[in-house]
Amino acid sequence: MVGVALGIAAIAATLAMAAGCVLPERARVVWVGILTAASATAGGVAGIAVLAGSARFTANYPDLLPLGGIRIEFDALSAIFTVAAALVAVPASIYGIGYGLHGPSSRPVQVAYPLLVWSLMMVPAAGNVTGLVVLWELMAISSLILVLAEHQHNPEARTAAQWYAVVTHLSLLAIVVALLILAHGAGGESFAAMRSGAGRLGPGVTSVVFLLALLGFGAKAGVVPVHVWLPRAHPEAPSHVSALMSGAMVKLGIYGVVRVGWDLLGGGPGWWGAVVLIVGLASAMFGILHALLASDLKRLLAYSTTENVGLIFIGIGAAGLFASTGNRPLAAVALAAALLHVINHAAFKGLLFLGAGSIHSATGTRDLDSLGGLARRMPVTAATFAVGALAIAALPPLNGFVSEWLLLQSLVHSLPSKAVAVAVAMPVAVAVVALVGGLVAATFVKAFGTAFLAMPRSVEAEQAHESPRTMQIGLVALAGMCVALALAPTVLAEPLRRATVAVAGLSSGRPIHTNGVYLQLSGIQAGLSPLLLATGLGVMMVVALAVVRRRRVHHTVRDIPAWGCGRTLQTARMEYTATSFAEPLQRVFDDVLHPEIDVDVDHRTESRHYIEAIRYRRQTRDAFEQRLYLPLLGVVRRAGDAARRVQNGSIHRYLTFSLITLIVVLIAAR
Amino acid sequence: MSKTAFVQLLDLAAGLVLVISFAALWLRRLATVARMIAVQGLALAAVAAVIGIYEHESELVGVAVLVGILRAGVLPGLIRRAVRAGDELREVESIINVPASLLAASALTLVSYATTRDVVALSPAPQVRAIPLGIAVVLIGMLMIVTRRKAVLQMMAVLMIDNGIALVMFLGTSGVPLAIELGIASDVLLAVFILQVLTNRIRTKFGGTDLDQLRALRD
Amino acid sequence: MSLTGTAVALLQVVLTIAAAPFLVGVMRLIRARLEGRVGPPIVQPWRDLRKLLGKDRMVSDNTGWVFSIAPLVLLASATLVAGIVPFLSTKSALDQVGDLFAVVYLLLLGTVFLSLAGLDAGTAFGGMGSSRAMTITAIAEPTVLVAIFALSVSTGSSNLGSIVAATLAHPATAASPESLLAFAALAVVTIAETGRIPVDNPNTHLELTMIHEAMVLEYSGPDLALIELAAHLRLVVFLGLLSNLFVPWGIATTAQPLQLLGAAVAVAVKIVVLAAVIAIVEVFMAKVRLFRVPELLAASFVLAFLAVTASFFLA
Repeated sequence: MVGVALGIAAIAATLAMAAGCVLPERARVVWVGILTAASATAGGVAGIAVLAGSARFTANYPDLLPLGGIRIEFDALSAIFTVAAALVAVPASIYGIGYGLHGPSSRPVQVAYPLLVWSLMMVPAAGNVTGLVVLWELMAISSLILVLAEHQHNPEARTAAQWYAVVTHLSLLAIVVALLILAHGAGGESFAAMRSGAGRLGPGVTSVVFLLALLGFGAKAGVVPVHVWLPRAHPEAPSHVSALMSGAMVKLGIYGVVRVGWDLLGGGPGWWGAVVLIVGLASAMFGILHALLASDLKRLLAYSTTENVGLIFIGIGAAGLFASTGNRPLAAVALAAALLHVINHAAFKGLLFLGAGSIHSATGTRDLDSLGGLARRMPVTAATFAVGALAIAALPPLNGFVSEWLLLQSLVHSLPSKAVAVAVAMPVAVAVVALVGGLVAATFVKAFGTAFLAMPRSVEAEQAHESPRTMQIGLVALAGMCVALALAPTVLAEPLRRATVAVAGLSSGRPIHTNGVYLQLSGIQAGLSPLLLATGLGVMMVVALAVVRRRRVHHTVRDIPAWGCGRTLQTARMEYTATSFAEPLQRVFDDVLHPEIDVDVDHRTESRHYIEAIRYRRQTRDAFEQRLYLPLLGVVRRAGDAARRVQNGSIHRYLTFSLITLIVVLIAAR
Repeated sequence: MSKTAFVQLLDLAAGLVLVISFAALWLRRLATVARMIAVQGLALAAVAAVIGIYEHESELVGVAVLVGILRAGVLPGLIRRAVRAGDELREVESIINVPASLLAASALTLVSYATTRDVVALSPAPQVRAIPLGIAVVLIGMLMIVTRRKAVLQMMAVLMIDNGIALVMFLGTSGVPLAIELGIASDVLLAVFILQVLTNRIRTKFGGTDLDQLRALRD
Repeated sequence: MSLTGTAVALLQVVLTIAAAPFLVGVMRLIRARLEGRVGPPIVQPWRDLRKLLGKDRMVSDNTGWVFSIAPLVLLASATLVAGIVPFLSTKSALDQVGDLFAVVYLLLLGTVFLSLAGLDAGTAFGGMGSSRAMTITAIAEPTVLVAIFALSVSTGSSNLGSIVAATLAHPATAASPESLLAFAALAVVTIAETGRIPVDNPNTHLELTMIHEAMVLEYSGPDLALIELAAHLRLVVFLGLLSNLFVPWGIATTAQPLQLLGAAVAVAVKIVVLAAVIAIVEVFMAKVRLFRVPELLAASFVLAFLAVTASFFLA
C-alpha cells in the first residue's frame, strides 16, 4: 500500500514534468497543477498509511545511481514530514493553476514545480546518504529555479537567488561532510548501518558530526544566524512556491537535525539539546521582532517562518535536554509538541502565503502600508487569511494553540529538576515563548488589520477584486485543514506516538493520551479539549447574539460616517498604517533593533514655518547581515582581488601552475 | 518558633532583601532608592533576628539590633545627606535603560543560583538554601556600580553589596561573632565616608558627579 | 463531564455576568466618595447596559464583518473563562476543558478581536488604541506565563482546579515567597489588562490618552453594551483568578448547594475587597506615560521570574 502510493506519486510527478515540457501554455498550467496535486495526494496517502499503523516501508535500488544506489526507508518520522509537505502541496498546486494563468507560466517554472513537490515529499523517505544528498539537491535546484521565476520584472529576485544559492550549497557541503564522517565511522552509508554503527564513533567525533549537521540543516531551516537567505528568497518566489518553501522545505532542515542528531547518532550529551534550544530561542525572538516591523507582507511571513522554526527548535532542544537528564516521558511530550507544530505550521503558513499571493495578484503590491479595505473586495481571501492569522497567533480554538499549549506544558513541567541547565533554561524559555506569543498576536493583528480592514490606502487596493476560483479552493482547503487540526488533535495522538517512538534517542512511550475529546499528557496533570472550547465559544456567541437581537426593538442599522473628532471627510490618509501600528513596540525594542529612521520635512518656499510635506521612512536592517555576512563577504572579495594578481593572462604561467600542481599531487599521493 | 514558621519567615526576609535590590534598580528618584537601601538593611536585620530567635542565640539578636541601627539608620542617613547636598538633577541616570537593567539583574540571579548549587548541596539547613539570594544581591550591587552614572548611586551600590555579603554571612555561618560584624561595619562606614568626601571634591571641582565625564581627565 | 459539574459551570457563568456590573458600580462609588462626590448608585452600570441594548445599531460605513463579530467574540471568550475559573467549586465541569494557559489565550483572543475592530473603522483613534493595546498585551504576556510557571512548579499542574486544591491542602504555601511574588506580578498584569490606572484610565475620553476607549470609539447601542459587559466581566474574571488562586479558602470542594452558596459569598467578598483596594489606589495615583508602561511591566516580569527562581532557590 505504502509502496504503491509512493510509486503513484513518482509517476504523477514525472507526468506533470512531462506536461510542463510539452503542452502549450494554458493547458500546461492546468495539467501541471492537476498532476502535481495528484502526486502530492498519493504521497500524503503513503504518509498517512504509515502514521495510521502500516509497517514502515523500505526499498533498495542499488543500480539507480553509482556509489550507493538509493535506499528508501519510510518510517513514521519521515511520514510526519511527508504529510506536512503534501498538506501544503495539494492546495498549493490547485492554487497554482489560477495563479499561473495570470502569472509565471514559463516552461522551466512549470517543470521545476512538480519536481520540487516530489522531492519535498521524498527527502524524508531517503534511507541512505547518496539518496538523501541527491534528493536534497533536486529540491534545492528546483526551488532555486522557482525563486528566479519572476526575475525578468523583478531584479530583487536575482540577488535573493544569489544569496539562496550560496547558502544552500554551503549548507549542503556541511551536511555531506557530516554524513560522510558518520558513514565512514559507522562502516556503511545506509541509515540502518549508521544507526547500528554510530556507537563506534568517539564522543568528540559524534559531536563534530552533530554540529556540522546542525549547521547544514539549520541553514535550510532558516534559523539564526544562518537565516539570511530566507527573508530574501521566500518573498521573491511565486506565492504558492513560497507556501511550499515556508510550509514544507524549511521543515526538512528540522527533519535532518532530528534524524541525524537523535536517531542516527542516538542522542548525545545534554549540551546538544542546550545548543538547539538556544538557537531556537534566538531564532524565535529575532524572527518575530523583524516580522513585527516588516511592512512587506511576504517578508513579514518569511520572518515569521524563522520564528516558528525557532519554536520547533525550542521543542526539540528541550526534548534533548530532558532526555539527557533521564526524563524520557517529558522529552517525548516536547518532541510531540515540535512535530505537531511542524504540521500545524505547514497548514497555516501555507495558507497565509497563498493569501499573500492572492493579495499580490489582485493589487500588484505586497506593501501593507498601501493596502487596506480588502475584506469587502476579497471576502474569501479575507476570511481564510483571518483563520490563518488567528491560528499562527496561537489563539484558541485554532490549531496553533494546541501545539503551543503542548510546548508550554512540556517546558513548565520540567521543574523541579536536579539539572542546573534545565532549571536555568526553562524559565527563560517560557518567558521567550510567551513574549514571542504576544508579539505574534500583535504582528498578525497588524498584518490582517492593515491589509483587509478600514479604507484602501491606494488606487490598486481600491480596485482589487477576488481571485479566481482555483485560488479560492486552495485557500479554503488550507483554512479547513487549520480548523480540522484544531478541533481533532486527539486523532493525532497515536500518529504522534509512532513518530516519537521512531526517534530512538529522545522518546519512549506515549506522550499524548486521549479519551475522545480531551487531550491529556503522560505524567502531567493537565487537560485540554479544543473541541469543547470551540463549542463553548460558539454557544456563548449565539446566546449573546440572541440576547442582542431580542432586546433590539427597532431592528434598524444605521450607516454613519466614522467619528473624526468633529472633523468630517475622513480619508485613508488618516488611518493607522502598518508602520505606525508597530511604532510603540518598535520603541520598546529600540535598543535591540536599532531601526534607521529618516524624517524629511519639506518647507514651503514662502516661509519655513509652513510645511509642505513630511516623509517618514523606517528601515530595519538585519544585524547578522550587517555585522557578520557583509564583513565576511568583504574578506572573500578582498581575497579574490588578491588572487587576481596571480592571473595575468600569460598562458605560460598557467601551464606552470598545472605543472606544479601535478608534482605536488604526485608527491602527496606517493 | 516551629521549624516551618522559621523557614517561612527566613525565606520571606531573605527574599525581601533580594526584591529590594530589584526595586533599587527600578526606581528613578535618588531619595527613594536611598530609602530602599535603608529598608534592605531592616530586612537584613530581620534575617539575623529570625535566625537568632530560632537558635536561641542572644548574641545574634544583639547583632541584629546593631545591624538594624547601622544599616537602616546611620549609613542611609549619610547617603541621604549626600543626595540632599547635590544640587543636580535628583533622578537616576543610567547607561542602560531600566527594563534592560532589570533583565540583566534577573540573569545575574540565575547565575548566582547556578554557581552556588554545590555549596547549597553541602547542607540541608534552610539557611544554606537561601545563600544564592545573598550572592545575587552582591552581583546586582556590582551591576548597579557598573551601570549607574552618579557617584551617590555608587555609594548606595556599595552599601547594597555589603548587605549582600552580610546576608551570605548570616546564612552561611549561623551567627557571626559580634566583633567581626562590628569590624566590617566600621569598614563600610569608612568606605562611605571616603566616598562622600570624594563625591564632594568631585562636585566642587566639576559641578556634578556624572562619572562618565571623568573620562575627560585621562588626556 | 458530569451533570453537576456542568450545572456548577453554568451557575458560575450566570452569577458572574449578573454580578460584574455591580462590581464596577461599587468601584465607581468608592472612587466618587473618596473624591468627595455623591457618585452614581451601584446599579447604574446595569441601567446603562439596559439602555444601550434598547438603542439603534449605528455602524460606521467603512466597517465590515470583523467589526460586527468582535463584540460577540470578546463577550464569548470572557464568559467561557468565567465558566472555567474555579469561583465556586473545584468541581467545575470545564476544569479539564482548559487550564490556566487556555484561560490566558482565551482572554488574548478577545483582545485581538477588539484590536482588529479598532482598526476596522479606519479612524486614527481606533488604530492608536489597537496599536497600544497590542503593545501592552504583548509585553504583559511573559509575566503572565512565567507567573503560571511559578504556580505550577509549586503545585505540579497548570490546571486551575489542581492549583486551588494544592493550596487548600498546604495552606502554608500561600505565604511562601514564590506565591507572594507571583501574586504581585499577576496583580500588575491585572491592572494593565483591565485598563486601570496607572496604565489606562477607564474614565478618560481625552483621545490622546485612551487605550480601551479609543478602540471602542465607533461602537454604539447594543454592540457597545456587549463590549461594556465583556469589559466588566474581564475585570471580575481577573480579580477572581487573583483571589482564588492565592487565597482559595471558602471555595466549595463538592457541589452541594449550601457549600456553593458559602463559596459564592466568600468569593464575592474577596473580589470586592480587591476591587476596593484598586479603586482606592486609583484615587491617589496618576496615569503613567505610555512609554513608562514597559518599565512597569518589566518590573512585574521580574517579580514573576523571581517567583520561579524562588521555587527552586528555596524549595
